Amino acid sequence: MSLPSKLFRCFVFFTLIPLLLCSALAEAVSLEEKVVEFEYANGLRLMVVDRPETPVVSAYITIGVGSVHETSETRGVAHLLEHMLFKGTKVLGTTDYASEKPLLEQIETVGSEIDRLRLNPQSDPEQIMALSKKLQELQADHKRFVVKDVFSKIYAENGGVGYNAFTGKDLTTYLISLPSNKLELWALIESDRMQNAVLREFYTERDVIREERRRSYETSPGGLIYETLLANAFTVHPYRDPIIGWHSDIANLSLAETRTFLEDYYAPINTVIALVGDVRPAKAFDLVNQYFGSIPPGTPVPNVAANEPVQNAEKRVTVFFDAEPQLSIAFHKPTLPHKDDYVFDLIDQILAQGRTSRFYQNLVEDLKVATSVSAYMAPGSRYPNLFVINAVPRYPHSAEEVEQAIYSELEKLKDEPVADEELLKARNRLVTDQLRYLKSNNGLARMLTSYQSMVGDWRYLVNYQNEIEKITADDIMAAARAYFVSKNRTVVTLIRGENNNAPKS
Amino acid sequence: MHLSLNPLNVFLTFVISVICCACTTTTQQPAHPNDLSFQPLVFHVPEVERVNLDSGISLYLREDNELPLIQLTAMIGSGALAASIDKAGFDELFAGSWRTGGTRQRTPADLEKQIDFLAANLGAQMGPYFTQIDLSLRAQDLREGLSIFADLLKDPGFAQESFELEQIKAQERVRRQNDNPGSVARRLLSAALYPHHYLGQSPTIQSIASVTRDDLINFHRTFFAPNNLSLAVSGDFDRKELIALLEQAFEGWPKQTVPNISVDGIITEQVGGVQVVDRPIPQTTVLVGGLGLTKDHPDQYAARVLNYILGGGSFNSRMMKEIRSNRGLAYSAYSFLQVGRRLPGLFVAGTETQNGKVVEVLGLIHEIMTSLRENPVSDAELQLAKESQINSFVFGFDDSHAIVVQQMHLDFFNYPDDYLSNYRNRISEVTAQDVQRIANELIRFQEQQVILVGDSAPYFEQLNRLNLPVKRVTPDGLE
Repeated sequence: MSLPSKLFRCFVFFTLIPLLLCSALAEAVSLEEKVVEFEYANGLRLMVVDRPETPVVSAYITIGVGSVHETSETRGVAHLLEHMLFKGTKVLGTTDYASEKPLLEQIETVGSEIDRLRLNPQSDPEQIMALSKKLQELQADHKRFVVKDVFSKIYAENGGVGYNAFTGKDLTTYLISLPSNKLELWALIESDRMQNAVLREFYTERDVIREERRRSYETSPGGLIYETLLANAFTVHPYRDPIIGWHSDIANLSLAETRTFLEDYYAPINTVIALVGDVRPAKAFDLVNQYFGSIPPGTPVPNVAANEPVQNAEKRVTVFFDAEPQLSIAFHKPTLPHKDDYVFDLIDQILAQGRTSRFYQNLVEDLKVATSVSAYMAPGSRYPNLFVINAVPRYPHSAEEVEQAIYSELEKLKDEPVADEELLKARNRLVTDQLRYLKSNNGLARMLTSYQSMVGDWRYLVNYQNEIEKITADDIMAAARAYFVSKNRTVVTLIRGENNNAPKS
Repeated sequence: MHLSLNPLNVFLTFVISVICCACTTTTQQPAHPNDLSFQPLVFHVPEVERVNLDSGISLYLREDNELPLIQLTAMIGSGALAASIDKAGFDELFAGSWRTGGTRQRTPADLEKQIDFLAANLGAQMGPYFTQIDLSLRAQDLREGLSIFADLLKDPGFAQESFELEQIKAQERVRRQNDNPGSVARRLLSAALYPHHYLGQSPTIQSIASVTRDDLINFHRTFFAPNNLSLAVSGDFDRKELIALLEQAFEGWPKQTVPNISVDGIITEQVGGVQVVDRPIPQTTVLVGGLGLTKDHPDQYAARVLNYILGGGSFNSRMMKEIRSNRGLAYSAYSFLQVGRRLPGLFVAGTETQNGKVVEVLGLIHEIMTSLRENPVSDAELQLAKESQINSFVFGFDDSHAIVVQQMHLDFFNYPDDYLSNYRNRISEVTAQDVQRIANELIRFQEQQVILVGDSAPYFEQLNRLNLPVKRVTPDGLE
């Protein structure tokens, strides 16, 4: 499950990232010695790694709920809620909550009435106009109660950096790094946010998210091809839907739905915390206990019932966009802890990582039909997922040519066992890259919370090296034969269409 | 200390529930951040050891034994400004071919095999002022890694086939440079602000074709010498062993006189304008920019505070508050200030909004900038911008390699010795008057470059409100 760095990079502010977990962590013994773990009576889990060298600490809170847990009525709500949780609480972000509350209720009444009328073609447009005007007036009036973006302000003045959150298919994470003397501030704010969040400025934030959607998926060929790939590769499973939702989803999500998602899932039983940095475990334990210990446990996030049926025909889609051609190919595969998930980590290394990988050697250096070919696992890891290959064809070679060259590499993997040296190289890389992810407080906190939330035990990371050692060349050949077949794949090609060949001028 | 999910944990859970019953009745947790008090933060800028090697190399060292990894960064004190202006793309071709072209002792294929087998990461880059190569490897591989590293610095191969591959990859990047509206906008902005200068040039198919392998070899021959090389090393090494290995690896590499590269040529008298690129997409990328300043400007700290308040401070900035949070007009709204090391960097405000809202957003940016010019910023804003930068200063030092590389760069660019230790004081001294003064210096409406990439049908006719000449251009800047 190696994580391509370009996907790492895309989380700025509250961006969505397709959550692909990193193949992480080696030095099993030392990691196991470093992590101190606690479980509280209400189900909350805390992992602490003490690194006293620099007086800073990274704090990650991961809720084991993501867009995969939405229904068709609430697509986009996990991400919308994540945005809304930056708007303050009953204590923070308001000048006077008691006086603010009736106004918030009025705003919600008018806003949901507008949403209801907009969906009915028989509605009187003038009535909608009048209500929209009323909504604007209420929103303007509401401003007198709002202390803008208060968490952001408090964290910033106290020296916090990297204050952010990201919503994935499988989980949602809230993160901040602070000078270590300010850790209690984090505990106070985050426990307040878990219990007393107020979803203010809701209708404005829906508009923000629609701009985010335009920016990430509709003006970017990479975003467009990725969204199209998922929407076609899955027929039934909610992994098919974009985390951010489609436009009509975002425009129609209600405050009630958002609040319900919060109340149902944001609770200690679904939460894991990692504190990595200049922090003593015993002190961290007490602090988290003081602020989070008495929060009621809540109920566990239910598993997704939808089961993706076996794909029995190749799916091919062409999308048109004003950009040079791109190609994306996805194969269904099982997810961790299935053995084949580890096998795919090795396949990924052998095919696509580094300049001595097969794709680079053969497609980029020898045939020169592409300038890059990359691979990754997507879009989540809680449920069976995809092995995705992306390629950038080199002019004048077509996406078809590149596609065929990719398939001949996949065929080789089915027919010839991988040489020992190549296998050893792949293992070295997986294990060493794990070490590199451990280097930063953020990287380690992120991996601990992700695996704890996803697999139920962060020690997945510790055992990883052992599992990788067990994989043989025969396992790789067997997996290639089982999964790299045409009926198991989805192919999306992005090209210029006839109608958007050239920009209007 | 390790508590697992096993029987021990059952005990722990039990203990905690008891403790909690007690907590709820006896202790009251603070309800508001103002009720908290904090221990003062003990932090001193970490020391970096400097060693002058016999070979002439300046070495920067910091041991960190937590993980069995070592990172090395070598910096040659000459960069892309040495290239001729019509050879845009020289920087990426040099860095790429140096990285992949093998050495006199190692074919490119052998070198790649060795690097990949060690699970090492090797990367090269060329900036305007210096050229850098980075190597990350396991501590156990230090000897082998150093031998490759020294080989690449002393005797790079620039193999013909590697150079040609880098050329065709660079040309494919040129073909794709218009695929994303953001990259079109950034390119046009640099071109407008650095006319007829290397910093404003973007590679073209032809400019890349015009660079020859000999150009790369000449650059190496002219500028690569131990007396023009600094080296930063961090990680799990033994100091004595490392120094001995380095002396050995670079032994016999002759010193030589390295020519100075002129950094002149920036036109500081700017002529403002609006450039519009039409794309059939539902959102427009908006950039509003001008030239910033250099590190030698006395008001650089005030400029940092100004930038924070304008759009650099995320949700605490005026742009984010007005454009995103109050009006829902954009997802990101930001500004950035590049404090140039020798030549002025950029000072840019940007956002992306649906095509129908471009005029409104431009109006807001103009309004925010006008207010920063005409009125002193409020005490609360000033305080927040300063506190944020002062209290987060410690994060510049949470990675040992970043610490050594930073010190190497500061020395190379002749920053004063107390630059880091005084940084927080300098920020704390900034006043509202300083911010207003630098706002008037850096924000000059008549010299601004405005770049818009999107479907301009809803707004093109209204752009004359900006009182700047408006032109439609292709993504490559042609009228």
